[in-house]
Parts: sequence; structure tokens; C-alpha cells
Amino acid sequence: MHDVADVLRRLTVVFTGFEGRLEQTPLIRKLTRGRFEMDDYRAFLIGLRQQVKDGALWMSRAASNIDEAHLELRSKLMRHAVTEHRDFRLLEADYVATGGNLAAITGAEKNIGSEALSAWMFHEASKPNPFGLLGAMWIIEGLGSIKAQEWGRLAQQRLSLPDTAVRFLLYHGENDSQHIEEFREMLGLVLPDETTAKRIVRTAEVTARLYALQIEEIAA
Amino acid sequence: MLKDVFVTGVGSHLPGMPVASETMEDHIGRIHGKPSLLGRRALRWNGIETRHYALDSHGEPFDTNAGMSAKATEAALDNAGLSIRDLEFLATATTQGDYLVPGHATAVHGALGGRSMEIASFQSVCGSSLMAAKAAWLNVLAGQARVAAACAGEFSSRWFRPSFYEGTALVDAKGRARAEADFLRFTLSDGAGAIVMEDRPRTSALSLKVDFIDIVSLADRFDPCMWAGASVDNRTDLQKGWAFAGPVAAHAQGAIALLQDFELLKRVIRAWVGVYLEKVDVKRIVPDAVDWLLCHYSARSLREEIVSLLEKTDAMIPQQKWFSNLASVGNIGAASIWVMLDEFLKSGRLQRGQKVLCVVPESGRALVGFMLLEAV
Repeated sequence: MHDVADVLRRLTVVFTGFEGRLEQTPLIRKLTRGRFEMDDYRAFLIGLRQQVKDGALWMSRAASNIDEAHLELRSKLMRHAVTEHRDFRLLEADYVATGGNLAAITGAEKNIGSEALSAWMFHEASKPNPFGLLGAMWIIEGLGSIKAQEWGRLAQQRLSLPDTAVRFLLYHGENDSQHIEEFREMLGLVLPDETTAKRIVRTAEVTARLYALQIEEIAA
Repeated sequence: MLKDVFVTGVGSHLPGMPVASETMEDHIGRIHGKPSLLGRRALRWNGIETRHYALDSHGEPFDTNAGMSAKATEAALDNAGLSIRDLEFLATATTQGDYLVPGHATAVHGALGGRSMEIASFQSVCGSSLMAAKAAWLNVLAGQARVAAACAGEFSSRWFRPSFYEGTALVDAKGRARAEADFLRFTLSDGAGAIVMEDRPRTSALSLKVDFIDIVSLADRFDPCMWAGASVDNRTDLQKGWAFAGPVAAHAQGAIALLQDFELLKRVIRAWVGVYLEKVDVKRIVPDAVDWLLCHYSARSLREEIVSLLEKTDAMIPQQKWFSNLASVGNIGAASIWVMLDEFLKSGRLQRGQKVLCVVPESGRALVGFMLLEAV
């Protein structure tokens, strides 16, 4: 139970459990039940921003802790961090496009879930060869490629938002199969290995739980 | 002591002649006399070419849900070489019976006649088929009955008649039904299927030993995805359901017709896949050991990403092992899996020793069931 297909299967099970948990959070319930207000959307953007801002940072830190034997993975993480490290600016622009005040989003403090998630990510990224974080990436990237568009469309529809106010969520919906293929290649760089496989799955489970906590803690 | 349980007979009943896509709207009727805008697209998506209705081309019924269920049960008993007098336990499944009360099993037993027996009614959507099968299986397994039947019947077309929509909030000023209501009219049709279970295999022909029946509900996390009894907007507030409003007001709100939420369906499909992968992960299901897959969901309706995901996680059962008659008999809800199993067994494809996995996803409130059978 430690090759790429086994880990991918386990990770998919973790992700679907995560989706189920998100579905039960008050904020997402409002969104799917059509009771989502502008204040909810703004609170959502503020909540998401923390993790998006930290994402490229923990990824860079993780890359700096990857040894020479795994140079390819290090390069991939660095490229990934570069691609995403300004995305939180887009979130801020979306926020302003809803009529929100820029200072309100840039000055907002992390909620309890964001605090826990961020602390966990940097803690893991600080370890030598933090391959477990591939599990965290699966969860967070999965949100980007599977959930973001869905949420963006629902929010736009419900609140009649202009395209300029939902760019972050809509722009994240990339091609699913391509996303899985790239991820599979990354897993192939560190697997098969029993200990690594377990760590990847465990890190995905913890990340999913803390991410859901972050969403649970979002209150308008 | 627990007994081994075998499916010894399978039967189905499809009312009338097959109805082609071009003429199907004559049977269910046109809302305000106008052809549906969504119908063609729905038909392309579900891939159904012909289906059966217990309504004639003028919309007049010529059977009942109970009647079709009883006919399928008789066919299954006959297939097992038994008669109604041998039956000790009957479990029925349906989405909506002929009555609101009492349970559907009473109506089917009444239609069957024959003798007194124990009965149980299961009402859900497609997955009710496996709930009934599980009751029959456990009864035989525990030695409570030697011969048990599980039948499933649907008469969905009655609910698709224009009167269920006209004059309700489901139809706009131009007389067009909203998508949540219209799609199902082009998806579901009528019929019944049944299986007979016994504590011994048949000597003259193949029987199917039941390895397990597992049913997993995810209603803890999802709102209703396919439902009747609440309007689209009030579906999550049970106190605003049809019975609280009263039948006349509920009808006007569009709370009586069958409805489907497509956005939610996409999420539910991923959740089904998650449950399946978990079964594979704990080796409850071993894809390589499955010789035939009967899934009440067409492979062509699964999005490319999901098939690709199943392949990459070593969980895909190759499409040449899939058997389906969805395209020719239609989607008959709970009855589909038995009608499919019936045609599969009659096709002569199954060999002794082979394993057949039946998968029944139910969008209702996100449920999925699995039944593993072995040919003996």
C-alpha cells in the first residue's frame, strides 16, 4: 500500500471526506442553500486570503529543505511557489470590486482555523525533506481545481457579482486531469516508500481538517 | 448458524412496447401543450434510446406500480422454479408507491395474492432496491425464511404528467418548466424487477451466491439532490414541506413534483467515487477480481476526469467488463439493477466462478450501495 496509485487512491478518499466536511460548514451551507449575502462573500475572501498568502511561503520554505537527491521536486515546488505567490493580490482586488475597503482585507487577522493551518504548514515545511506536504498540496490544489469554480459560480449567481469580483475563484478552475497528472509525477519522485506514503496521507488528513476549521470559523 | 444465500431467480416486467425518444413526449404529455426545451439535451446526456411506460400514447395508465412489481416477482419465482406458495418473505422497493399509506409491500402482496407472508416496504430512490435485497438476504442468512424475494418497481411517468407542473411555480410565464423539474421527465421511466433468494443453490442452472450487500448513506453532509415533497427553495426546511403546507398549496409551490439539483449532483458523484475508492482501499472490493460490473449509471455519463482518476488509482473496472441495458430499457430507478441483472443472466455471458459487482448510486440524498455476487 505505498505506490503512487495506492497513495492517490487514499488521497482521493481523504479529499471526498474533506468535501463532505466543507459541505456541512455554516458558510458553505449558506452558499449552496442560496442564503449567501455580500457580507458572507467578503468574509469568505478575507478567510481565504490568509492561506493563499502563506501558501507560496511555506512552499518556498519546504523547497529550501529538500536535499540534492530530490532536486527535481525542489525545482517543481519553487516554480509552483513563484506561479502562485502573488495570487492573494487578486483576492484583494476581488474584495475591493465588491465595494469592500482594501484596508479591511489587508488588515484582517487570521481566524482560529487559519492560525492553526498556517502554523501546521510552516512547521511541516521546516522539516528536512518534508515530502508529507505533497498531501497538503493535494488538498489545497484540489480546492483550487475542483471547488473554487463551483463556489465562484454560485457566489456570482447569488449576488449578481461582476466578473471583476470573482476572478480569484473563477480563475482557479484549471483542467482536472492535467492537475492529477502533474501531481502524479511529483508523487513518483518520492514513491514507492512506505514511510513517505503514510506521511503524505497523514499530512493530507491534518491539512483537510484544519482547512475545514478555517472555513468553519469564517463568520460574516 | 448463518446460512449461505443464493439468488436463484431473477425476473422483470417492462410495460407495453419500447417507446422511442421521438414519441416519448406523447406518453408523458407536454406541459401546456409545448415541447420541452431541455428534453433533447437530457436525452443526449443520458444516452437512453428506448424506454417503457405504463401509460399509453394518450397518457392513460394500463398498470400500477404494485401490479408491475407483482408481475416481476412472479417472473422471478418462475425463473427459480418456484411459485407464490413457496414465498415466505417479500421486501419491496420503490421511489413512490401507488398509495401514500400503507407501505408499498402491502399493495404488492395484495396484487400477488397466494398466501400470508412476512413483508417489508423500502422507500428511497434507486438504492431502495438494495435495501430490500439486504432485508431478504439477512432473513435467509439468519434462517428466518427459506425463500425470500426482493422486488423493485417504478411508475415514474404518472408523476411526469403535465398536471403535476401546470399551475405551479415550476412553470414560468411562457409555460416552460424549470430545469430541476423537466430533466427527470426525460430520464426516468416505468417497469419492475425482482430477485428470489434461497438458502440453497439451484441444481439445474447457475445461482448467484451473495458475498455482501453494503449500503452507505452520505445524508449527513448533503442536502437532498433528487426529491419530491418540498419546493426548490424550501427543500432544506422540513417544516416547509408539502404536508405542512397542505396538498393544494404544496402543489402550487411546486412541492409535489420530482426534482433534481444538478449542481449538487456533481458533488454527489465525487462522493460516490470516494465511497467506492474506500471500499477498494480496504479490499472489500478488489477491482481485478470483478469479472462483471453492473452499474446503475452509465459509463458514458461519468466525466472523463473521474474515469481518469479511477484508472490512476488502480480502481477502474475496464469498460469491457461493464454490462448495461440502460440505453434500451431506460432508467427505471430502483428497478433498474434487477432488470439489468435479468438481461445479463439471460445473455449467457456469465460463467461459473465469476464475480459480479452490482453498484447502485442514488442521488436522492447521496447514497450508494454495492452487492457482490459469485456464480456457483
